Amino acid sequence: MQNPLTVYELSQRIKTCVDNNPLLSNVWVKGEITGITYHSSGNIYFTLKDKDSLISAAFFRYMNSKLKFKLNEGQSIIALGSVVIYDKRGSYQLKVADVMLEGVGEIQLMLDELKKKLAKEGLFDASRKRSFPFLPKRIGIVTSPTGAALRDILKVALRRYPNLEIILAPAKVQGGDAPKSIIKAIKELNRDKWNVDLIIAGRGGGSVEDLLPFSEEGVVRAFAESRVPIISAVGHQIDHPISDEAADFAAPTPSAAAEFAVQDKSQLSASVNQFSRRMDYALRKIISSADGRLSNIETKKIFTEPKAAFEFKEYELDRISESLHYALNEKLRDSASRLEKCSRFEKDMILITRSKEMLFAKGAELLEKLSPLSTIARGYSVSLDSAGRIINSVDKAKQGENIKLLLSDGSLGCVVNSVNKGDVLGKEKEKN
Amino acid sequence: MEKKKKKTEETKTFESALEELEEIASELETGELGLDEALGRYEKGVQLSRFCRKKLDEAARKIDILQKQGDEIISKPVKLKDDEGEIEEGEDVQGELL
Repeated sequence: MQNPLTVYELSQRIKTCVDNNPLLSNVWVKGEITGITYHSSGNIYFTLKDKDSLISAAFFRYMNSKLKFKLNEGQSIIALGSVVIYDKRGSYQLKVADVMLEGVGEIQLMLDELKKKLAKEGLFDASRKRSFPFLPKRIGIVTSPTGAALRDILKVALRRYPNLEIILAPAKVQGGDAPKSIIKAIKELNRDKWNVDLIIAGRGGGSVEDLLPFSEEGVVRAFAESRVPIISAVGHQIDHPISDEAADFAAPTPSAAAEFAVQDKSQLSASVNQFSRRMDYALRKIISSADGRLSNIETKKIFTEPKAAFEFKEYELDRISESLHYALNEKLRDSASRLEKCSRFEKDMILITRSKEMLFAKGAELLEKLSPLSTIARGYSVSLDSAGRIINSVDKAKQGENIKLLLSDGSLGCVVNSVNKGDVLGKEKEKN
Repeated sequence: MEKKKKKTEETKTFESALEELEEIASELETGELGLDEALGRYEKGVQLSRFCRKKLDEAARKIDILQKQGDEIISKPVKLKDDEGEIEEGEDVQGELL
């Protein structure tokens, strides 16, 4: 007998076999919930069973806090978890990481797998996304010709852009044939012949199963391979088919897809008009200010009355020549008047001379009359004393004084014999 | 030179033309351009607005539905009921191309 193992040692061996065994780790298990207990710690314990087996399961608080629904007794679920050994009790457990309701869960599982696979291939890479033409002229639509989606898309698109060109590639959008039909339609619209600027592919809301064709691998690939930019427009806002991942744009609804893809023409027209108006107005302002400057210049006399400038100069010239004339005239006049004055003076001089001559003649005559010479000539004489002074009074002569008598033809030396004062003619006074 | 200009004019998108038009409007509004330059920009703006209007009216409203005819796929014009976006009743259209 070999050395026996301790229970603990055996448990450890079991643990090594189980822990991290890919067959037992992160596996999806489906079964029905039974014996569920919500522990006050927040952990959830239950047993998962099917008709043949059961396994106890622990869904710990830190894992179950993200769960969006309540787990209930009898629910069929699919649980993601790993098997762990609980050695203290000699049991094994499923340590649950996530739970889905069966049905939905199963589909979701499949979809998640597909999504993962395609993502790995790079089908959803952001670098693959193309931008959409701003102003599409012609759009392609892939949907059912009788569905609500088409009606919604047409309504919105034509309201926004009344002269839009639309090509519908009809497709079945639910049921088993749908994927092939959708793929065919997308491929057809990708042909150059149809010359579409973008494609909207989708359908209206429905059950999870109804929307499945848009998560079908072939369809998702057709979205990814579309040469023309493509919009996935499936269901309602809450629906996320895988086509959303592969498309260049995922619209929450078909109407939203049309809203996104097609511009509001009236708004664009309004923008063009507005910018044009702004431009017109701005230019008018620039021109009117330039015009103002121009008319400012234009109103300057040199432009309005170009002659005016010369007129002014002429005027100035006139004024100058006038004043020159004036000055000249003045000078002339002055000279003339001076000349006149001179000539007047000459006349005066003549007159004066003449009158002076007359005066002189008169004077001379008078002088002749008054001249002692003539008196002397008439018989009078002038007596001079020895000093030559005129003796005009007897008082000035003394008896015995030698005096000189001036006569008209010579002089007489005389001696005063007597001095007799008194009237010369007749009543001679006796000298005392 | 002239040819080159024409080519860029053709490849110009509505979007970039509209953007440039707005730029020109803003430029003119600053009032900082000289008259000659302003007239030049304005002329360009008028060209752009004409281009934009032309682009907006380029599409001719029509709705076609593709139909399978033998091995061919053909397009068939359809009429819509009012503004409701619904295809006129009586239009005989196939539901798919297969």
